[in-house]
Amino acid sequence: MTAIHLENLVKRFGAFTALKTMDLEIRDGEFMALLGPSGCGKSTTMNMIAGMESPSKGRILFDGRDMNGVAMGRRGVGFVFQNYAIFTHMNVYDNLAYGLRVRGLPEREVDGRVRKIADFLQLTPLLKQPSAKLSVNILQRLAIGRSAIVEPAIFLLDEPLSNVDAAFRAVMRTELKHLQRQFRQTMVYVTHDQLEAMTMADRIAVMDHGVLQQVGTPLEVYNDPVNLFVAGFIGSPGMNLLKGSLADSDRGLVVDLGELGRTAPLPPQLAAAARSNAGRDVVYGFRPERVSLSETGEGMPMPVTFIERIGARTIAHLGTGEQRVKAVFDNDVAAESASTVAVAIEPASVRLFDAATGVAIREA
Amino acid sequence: MTSLATREKMPMADAALNQGVATADDGRRLGFALTLPAQLLVLFIAVFPLLMQLYISLTDWSPLDGIGWWQAYELWNSFANYTDLMADTRFWGALGRTALVMLICVPAEFLLGLGLAILFMDDFVGKRVFYSIMLIPMMVVPAVAGYMFFMLFQSGGPVNDILSGLTGMNVSIAWLSDPTTALIAVMIADIWQWTPLMFLILLAGLVGVPEDQVRAATLLGASWWQRFRTIVLPKMKTIIIIALAIRIIENFKIFDTLYIMTGGGPGVATETISVYIYKVTQQDLIWGYVAAIALVILISLSILVSLAISRMNKKKEA
Repeated sequence: MTAIHLENLVKRFGAFTALKTMDLEIRDGEFMALLGPSGCGKSTTMNMIAGMESPSKGRILFDGRDMNGVAMGRRGVGFVFQNYAIFTHMNVYDNLAYGLRVRGLPEREVDGRVRKIADFLQLTPLLKQPSAKLSVNILQRLAIGRSAIVEPAIFLLDEPLSNVDAAFRAVMRTELKHLQRQFRQTMVYVTHDQLEAMTMADRIAVMDHGVLQQVGTPLEVYNDPVNLFVAGFIGSPGMNLLKGSLADSDRGLVVDLGELGRTAPLPPQLAAAARSNAGRDVVYGFRPERVSLSETGEGMPMPVTFIERIGARTIAHLGTGEQRVKAVFDNDVAAESASTVAVAIEPASVRLFDAATGVAIREA
Repeated sequence: MTSLATREKMPMADAALNQGVATADDGRRLGFALTLPAQLLVLFIAVFPLLMQLYISLTDWSPLDGIGWWQAYELWNSFANYTDLMADTRFWGALGRTALVMLICVPAEFLLGLGLAILFMDDFVGKRVFYSIMLIPMMVVPAVAGYMFFMLFQSGGPVNDILSGLTGMNVSIAWLSDPTTALIAVMIADIWQWTPLMFLILLAGLVGVPEDQVRAATLLGASWWQRFRTIVLPKMKTIIIIALAIRIIENFKIFDTLYIMTGGGPGVATETISVYIYKVTQQDLIWGYVAAIALVILISLSILVSLAISRMNKKKEA
């Protein structure tokens, strides 16, 4: 149960800067996901928290205590590796007991604690089994149990689900979230899979190119991305982003999307924010789920290039040239390829970004 | 759908099974025929010489007797060679010396090789150069190494010069003329020449230890020594057994470097089993006796090595 504070954290490997600067507060007992594409600096950040790498600059504080110079075995950090790093030459029992034995605890106490945690993780029937041939979900439980038995203040998990096949991932996600609730420990979870981050994390820290982009609850990050990267990265498919410029019309401020024509008027608060923003060139963003199509109704006319019907959902690919839009519907939609449809976008879902900086234009 | 697929597959599986049963016997016979040349080869290079050795060891045969070895039954002496051997103090002395050399050299080579291998796991300036230098002793022809150490250990040689320089006294030990120091010199030469092999094998073993498991142990609070003992050594078990087995067998047969350095002397101070056998063969020419010695050595070495390996296996499992 520890809060983690990252202050101006920088990590360079020779000439390469893996982490440009990072300020992040992880609350006590929180499940924080570090989310980003590979090479964004998320694993580097985690390795520095664990003490496997030392920061080039900045500080890491656990409950206000500077961790600089504290060796990685002495930080009270439990680490679950991508491949779990189970000691394959030992059985389940010895894996669990390892952390206690190296601390020189009497064997009676070791035995008591191993049995307690094995019971808790439903590993009791497997205690005498060699660990080399266990299935992945048992490996995960064992890896967590092996770290948890020494009662670390912080749990770090490095993409633990990336080696698991897609069908099994859902099971593992549920189990992991369940375990975190029971342990009530601060957890930092590194992943490039937004689904994992969205479903499990209390808050998500989105990273790209060694820079922290946004921190927020899954819904905050989804609904109000702070910039174009987060808007495009979060969501599947990501937010529709159309280049345009602000234009006045008799019904209020609109966005001129070039070939696609003009959008519906912006909501008043967003319009006010857009007016006070310096640039006229903007990116017009909206979620694919916030779109309705009609053959005749009101909206921007757009050509349909392709319809993907997946059963539960249908994805319509619309637009021309660089101005492409995806629209997601439940079950099915009455539209066919090569036709033209009127696209109506839910006004409240519209987000504007400054085209020059990529930063979201927010209602003041 | 599933049941249909199963039903379709059934007859095919049956056919395959039947075919397998029908050809099993023929297959075995064909397999025997195909492996026969290799089996004969093994018979001729391994089993036959062994039987021939056993046969000769039960006779007084020598090549100077003017009869072929197959006629050695004319000189049949039953187990006289073996009973002679039991009473041969020179043989037992040589055996004891060989064991002593092995018990000192192999552990020394192992510990030095392991220590060096651990050092080479880290990066340091000039690592590649040192790596190449490390392997040179192994590539030196043993005869050359023998002459090298013969010269180094002369009473006016570089070893004494260095010792004089270090101690400030005039050291002039006659290394190869004194029974104790001669044995030490011989062992130093063996350790110098064969530590690199240990180093090479053990380095390969160390590189193969999964790094994340070592890291996991570190994160669980294990010290360097604890990690080494509980993770690294168990992971290297097989390779350590192989390295030790190779060196135990090789060291038991120690000959060339040693023979050039001391010729087994002074007296019999450095006479090992190989040197003794060589002398008996070359000087005394009693081949029946030599065959008996060699057979005893072969059997005892086999027992020793298999015992050592099985013990190491058991110890690691417990």
